[in-house]
Amino acid sequence: MDEQWEKTVFVCGGEPDDILTAVYDAWASRKGHSRVRLEVEGERTLDLFSRYVPVEADPEKARKVMNAIRNKISGRAWQMVYRSALSREESRADDIYRFLVGGFYYGPRVLGMLAEPAVYRILELNRAVGNEAHFFREFLRFDERENHILFGRIRPKNNVISLVMPHFADRLPQENFLILDMGRHTAGLHPAGGEWYLTQLDPEAGEQLLQKQEDPFRDLWKTFFQAISVEQRKNPKLQRSMMPLRYREYMTEFLD
Amino acid sequence: MLIQENLSLQQKLEILADAAKYDVACTSSGVDRRGRRDALGSAVSCGICHSFAADGRCVSLLKVLLTNECIYDCKYCVNRVSNDTVRTSFTPEEICTLTMEFYRRNYIEGLFLSSGILRTPDYTMEQMYQALWQLREVHRFWGYIHVKAIPGADPALIERVGHLADRMSINLELPTGDGLRKLAPGKSREKILTPMRQIQRGIADNRLQLEDARNRKKIYPAALPEARLSTGRGQQLAAVPAGGAPGPSAAPAPAEAGAVSAAAPGTVPAAASRRRSVPSARSALRYEEKSKFVPAGQSTQMIIGATGETDHQILTVTEALYQKFDLKRVFFSAYTAINEDAALPALGTRPPLLREHRLYQADWLLRFYGFEAGELLSPERPFFNEELDPKCDWALRHLELFPVEVNRADYATLLRVPGIGVKSARRILRARRSCRLDFGDLKKLGVVLKRAALFITCCGKMRENTPIEEQFLTRILTAEEQKKNRRQMDDASFRQLSLFGDFHLENLDPGPADLWKSLSGQL
Repeated sequence: MDEQWEKTVFVCGGEPDDILTAVYDAWASRKGHSRVRLEVEGERTLDLFSRYVPVEADPEKARKVMNAIRNKISGRAWQMVYRSALSREESRADDIYRFLVGGFYYGPRVLGMLAEPAVYRILELNRAVGNEAHFFREFLRFDERENHILFGRIRPKNNVISLVMPHFADRLPQENFLILDMGRHTAGLHPAGGEWYLTQLDPEAGEQLLQKQEDPFRDLWKTFFQAISVEQRKNPKLQRSMMPLRYREYMTEFLD
Repeated sequence: MLIQENLSLQQKLEILADAAKYDVACTSSGVDRRGRRDALGSAVSCGICHSFAADGRCVSLLKVLLTNECIYDCKYCVNRVSNDTVRTSFTPEEICTLTMEFYRRNYIEGLFLSSGILRTPDYTMEQMYQALWQLREVHRFWGYIHVKAIPGADPALIERVGHLADRMSINLELPTGDGLRKLAPGKSREKILTPMRQIQRGIADNRLQLEDARNRKKIYPAALPEARLSTGRGQQLAAVPAGGAPGPSAAPAPAEAGAVSAAAPGTVPAAASRRRSVPSARSALRYEEKSKFVPAGQSTQMIIGATGETDHQILTVTEALYQKFDLKRVFFSAYTAINEDAALPALGTRPPLLREHRLYQADWLLRFYGFEAGELLSPERPFFNEELDPKCDWALRHLELFPVEVNRADYATLLRVPGIGVKSARRILRARRSCRLDFGDLKKLGVVLKRAALFITCCGKMRENTPIEEQFLTRILTAEEQKKNRRQMDDASFRQLSLFGDFHLENLDPGPADLWKSLSGQL
């Protein structure tokens, strides 16, 4: 028999599947919403009066949660939850849980309740992830390597590669391309004419896999980029606010 | 004129991009198009900026001229015939290679093709058509294309180009006909507005035709018995290309038909027949046949500060363009002094960037906030107050409408409050269905409270006890604005050392409370 004051913390991995499984387990434990908490594994100080339960990812449970969100709240809500799960915030698992508590109670109209902290929080996470994904759709640069394979690198704060890949797969259906997340060592691969998929890949291995090759269009692009700016209107501050420095790490026009 | 042969592709790109850089529009917005298996590219309606140049302007499209040779002598233009610069041209093949390869590497969202006038407007437009056709049909490019219509070109050519492009634009060049006569001897108001009208009508007609075609498709299978179904489909297939075809073979609106045949009796059949004889190596994209005509709409731009027009004149023209020509965007380009001429501002004049900025703000108010040009400016007050944004300026002159109660005001009223934008107004409408909003909530919804708090109440209360009084509010708002502008404008220039500023002694960000104190002498 649990004590009244004891909290149960469900500790899960950082992937969407892990988080959704934890949501399922926490809900199914029937301990009461105020007495459970979700946490993404990491180096955390342990709470004294809490019981820690590790959660094993289970695609079946995750799928059930997904379907429940889609049916009982809305497709839009599912999209927001999924994106929030990709966020880099450590609190994301619990934020999602709190949102779903409200979501399953109010149904679709929960998305309009912006003054509710749990809803607002999800909106915030969703926006941050969505914005970053959009930035990388803009600023990702491909390099052509041997055999016309396109090679792109990103270093996102949030785990946005699964949001970036569909955009390029739709746009470049007949290209072989590879996008590497340099921080997470995840790679998105797209074979020409096929479906894209994610895999784990060491950046060095990726580099070796794709031998560097002179790409003449790099210089042409740099030439164009230099020529297109109007000297009399120079405004580096505006440039920086539109295109923050951290995105320029792998951008052709800022590399030698 | 110095025409250079044997330039490398890199040198050509440098020259022709440099010559195109004064063109403002570089947006890739207005059309949503998913990719397709047999082509390269897609389009996103919000547009995608791929980079930002050192001047802070978005680089979305490969913005180049087909050629910088030009027969005209427009005084403000780098490429005028009397300027002694190196002249060169791209071949259509070069344009295609650059576009395709840049696009694959995610450098660009598509092509922006403009051109100087080579020989005649018709010849130039024909060249541009060739380049676009190759890009679409030979290279199977499915991304965004923005192309300039050349004033004075044959309407039939413009029509055909319009079916290959996503957006077309014709530069208005200068806000008034007087300015145009003075600075652009080769162009006239009429030459510019005629194709603009043609494109406007073309878009409208094409929309109706495509809708008809769609409706027919929907109705036939349901209404007809099985046996007649196939003939019904057959007829319809025959009808669609005829209806949606870009060439003059399509039955255009009566008014249009007159203009087309009157202007170009010779070119019409030739152009139409050539299109049909085009060999389709692979299954052709057939972009022209089923396609929309200029699906992302048309835009224009005008130069600000080269001639003596007032902001009121400019804004009135802008409004007329939106209302009468259904333009998607009107762009303003602060005049950059590059040519020496008695009729122009002297060399070394800085481009009037702040004025341009105010005009864009006003343009936004026209397009999204339900303002009219006459509300913002009048012949008696023909210029914007450079110290205040146009919306604040308007609000200060209409204090009788404020404060606005956020929990009850309708959408149109909310939009007129400084500090509340389209997005935040919509969020307010959504959020207040479930609860009463407070200043803290508003901040979360994206309202700029620095400005908005002076004009609104939440549940009948203002945030601070600020009077709705013109001089007081002006002072607060201009102080904030000045700080912003100074930061933007004087970045590169020298400034005097300031004890408070440089040694961080000042009370940063004086809020309304501080100003109130300074006003009443308590500070």
